[in-house]
Amino acid sequence: MYRLTSICSLLICLTLLSGCWSSKEIEERSVYVGMAIDVAEESAEEKKLNAQGGATPIEPAITATIQIVPVKSVEGGKQGGESNGEVKKYLNNTQTGDSVFEILRAYALRRDRAVIGHHLKVIVISTELAEKVEIENLLDFMLRDNDIRPSCMIFLSRSKAEEALYSNQPDEIPAFHIVDMVRNKFRNNKIMKAMTLTTLDQYMHSKQSYMLQNIAATKGETEFSGAGIIKGSTGKWIGNLDQEDVSSISWIIGESGGGLIKTKNEKGKTIIYEIKSAKSKITPKVKGTDISFHIDIKTEGRLIETWSSDRDSSEMPILLEAQDAFVKKLDESLQTTLNKLQKDYKVDVAGFGKRLRITHPKVWKRVKDDWDEVFSRSKVTYSIDLKITDYGSSAE
Amino acid sequence: MFTRSDDKITSSQATVFLTNSILGAGILTLPRVLTNAAETPDVWLSLIIGGCIIFCLIIVMVKLSQQFPGKTVFQYAGSIAGRFLAIFPCLLLIVYFIVIAGFEIRVLAEVTLFFLLEGTPMWAVLIPFIWVSVYLITGGINVISRLFQLILPISLLVLLVSYLMSLRIFEIDNLRPVLGDGLMPVFQGIKSTVLVFSGIEVTMLLVGYMESPKQAVKAMIAGVSIPLIIYLITVVIVIGGMSTDAIMRSTWPTIDLLRSFEVSGLFFERLEFPFLVIWMTQLFCNFSCYFYSASLGISQLFKLRLRVVIFALIPLIYISALIPTRMNEVFEVGDFIGWTGLAMFLLIPLPLSIIWLIRRKGMKINV
Repeated sequence: MYRLTSICSLLICLTLLSGCWSSKEIEERSVYVGMAIDVAEESAEEKKLNAQGGATPIEPAITATIQIVPVKSVEGGKQGGESNGEVKKYLNNTQTGDSVFEILRAYALRRDRAVIGHHLKVIVISTELAEKVEIENLLDFMLRDNDIRPSCMIFLSRSKAEEALYSNQPDEIPAFHIVDMVRNKFRNNKIMKAMTLTTLDQYMHSKQSYMLQNIAATKGETEFSGAGIIKGSTGKWIGNLDQEDVSSISWIIGESGGGLIKTKNEKGKTIIYEIKSAKSKITPKVKGTDISFHIDIKTEGRLIETWSSDRDSSEMPILLEAQDAFVKKLDESLQTTLNKLQKDYKVDVAGFGKRLRITHPKVWKRVKDDWDEVFSRSKVTYSIDLKITDYGSSAE
Repeated sequence: MFTRSDDKITSSQATVFLTNSILGAGILTLPRVLTNAAETPDVWLSLIIGGCIIFCLIIVMVKLSQQFPGKTVFQYAGSIAGRFLAIFPCLLLIVYFIVIAGFEIRVLAEVTLFFLLEGTPMWAVLIPFIWVSVYLITGGINVISRLFQLILPISLLVLLVSYLMSLRIFEIDNLRPVLGDGLMPVFQGIKSTVLVFSGIEVTMLLVGYMESPKQAVKAMIAGVSIPLIIYLITVVIVIGGMSTDAIMRSTWPTIDLLRSFEVSGLFFERLEFPFLVIWMTQLFCNFSCYFYSASLGISQLFKLRLRVVIFALIPLIYISALIPTRMNEVFEVGDFIGWTGLAMFLLIPLPLSIIWLIRRKGMKINV
């Protein structure tokens, strides 16, 4: 009897506990890894589809393009046979609507395999749209959804956002390409630290201004080109910073891990400084209602390239002369950027407010609501301590 | 197989039992609850102060229970205050345990259904958990404690490894400035920190089962210290990783912290999944604690067989888990539990200790 019951219970366990209740096969899903959001503009196919009736009448606000990988393997194989070996690894699909969620669900009407957002890595928003619509509204769904992870990165694009999701490399998935480019920060300080949904959430809640890396794209080539400024009080895009500005802001924040300074020496020949280390310290000073900042930048590096072969770069006077030239150049670019921030855009995106919050919490509480205004009026000074420690393996 | 017949637990088992009864669903929402109350990154200070208050409460409960070795609160309350006076607070305590059990398993189901098993009906998550728990707790306190001893180190290890990985997005600036808004917000946070320790009433049952009740103070203090340390690490890591601004906008901040980064190259790229899976076993332990305490209370109060009570409680716990319909209501139940926990302390150990002290003095005078 005991044997029988134990065998029976084992059988029941085997049949009941061996499966997964709501399992869904990965082959039957479409995984989207990138999304581009543009100002509403229905694509040609969409217009034709809508003309055949059935579409819910809406006043479109946005056009979202999602990048689906991998394209069905069978389909891909066929295409590979027909067209000379050039198979795209991804599929960009565009849909227009007035809510992100509605658009994503509309794909169920157009694709046989439902789209899932577990692997969404990149969201690109066009500046044209960001100027009209608050970023917060565009990203609200992503922050609520249970599939999309807050580790997803946000970028702006100067042209149509959709273009950033194309690539002319046959084996490349553009969304992954963008994610991997962020890692090159150690080679170039014109790349910003990636802005994830979590960090963005923080700025949106505290209503402080921030900047998002801009992507320039043309014919399948993408490039990080400066940054777009989002004003905290309105949550909308107000202007662009170019690559040099992003580099200067990296200097101010002290995140200039890699990169270079290019300038001309007294004879007008190009010389280049490779950053080995860069540190900065922002010190706020408060006197009554007067707030001022001092930035202390310390950097060490190497003379990596000179275009003046007639001079011996290992000689001390020449090194010192080059050093001064680099300081002058850095000084100029810092001045340009600070002018842009304080005079043109009147925003703080370089972490001055963050510093003030830590050193003078009481003052910060008083000024944080119109911090951008206060910052644009405050005086910013800086000192640069630049040292060329060596000149590489060529002493000439 | 080695089985014990005397139904006693060692001091370390008692420690683990208490730790498991505190560490549960609270850790998933703790950073948000605290930062919402205090609105400053200094909440870790509130947590330390709150922990000290809890230590005092624990000592009162242990000292009281030590006077009646081998007995639980349900047994000795009657002999202190009289059977009729004692029965109401004891009943309240039982209802309290049932509500917590329902709450814990409900949060477990909510999190699982949202992040892991989308599409599974809620009963399909709740019922197996309740049944497995029934199987466990019919074995008695010794069996329960031994399982807890197995599970706790694993869940703590996974938790700490997950936190360690999240250090890549940790920024010390998010925790600064220390005491930037002064001490007031810290005090405002204390209230919420005391609430996250709800469940310490289990102490009044545990001491009665201890092999050597003399070590009870040490064991119980250790049992609260482990969750306190885990809570402290959680708050510091989550605030450092996400900042108070982002935490205030997140429903499950601890899970969102783990969702905010990806680890390439490790076996798991996304740590929220191993964390959630392991933390489910922790929630199961937590749930079993209260299920057992509630059934033990009823069986001792009304002199019924434990096994019968356990089976009779199954529907009650299932219903109490399903009463809240919205997420807000679930969180309200959580708050309510916290407040009742404090009330429980004022209703049971405190008056009992006072009455007991008065009586003992009175007896000495008579002698």
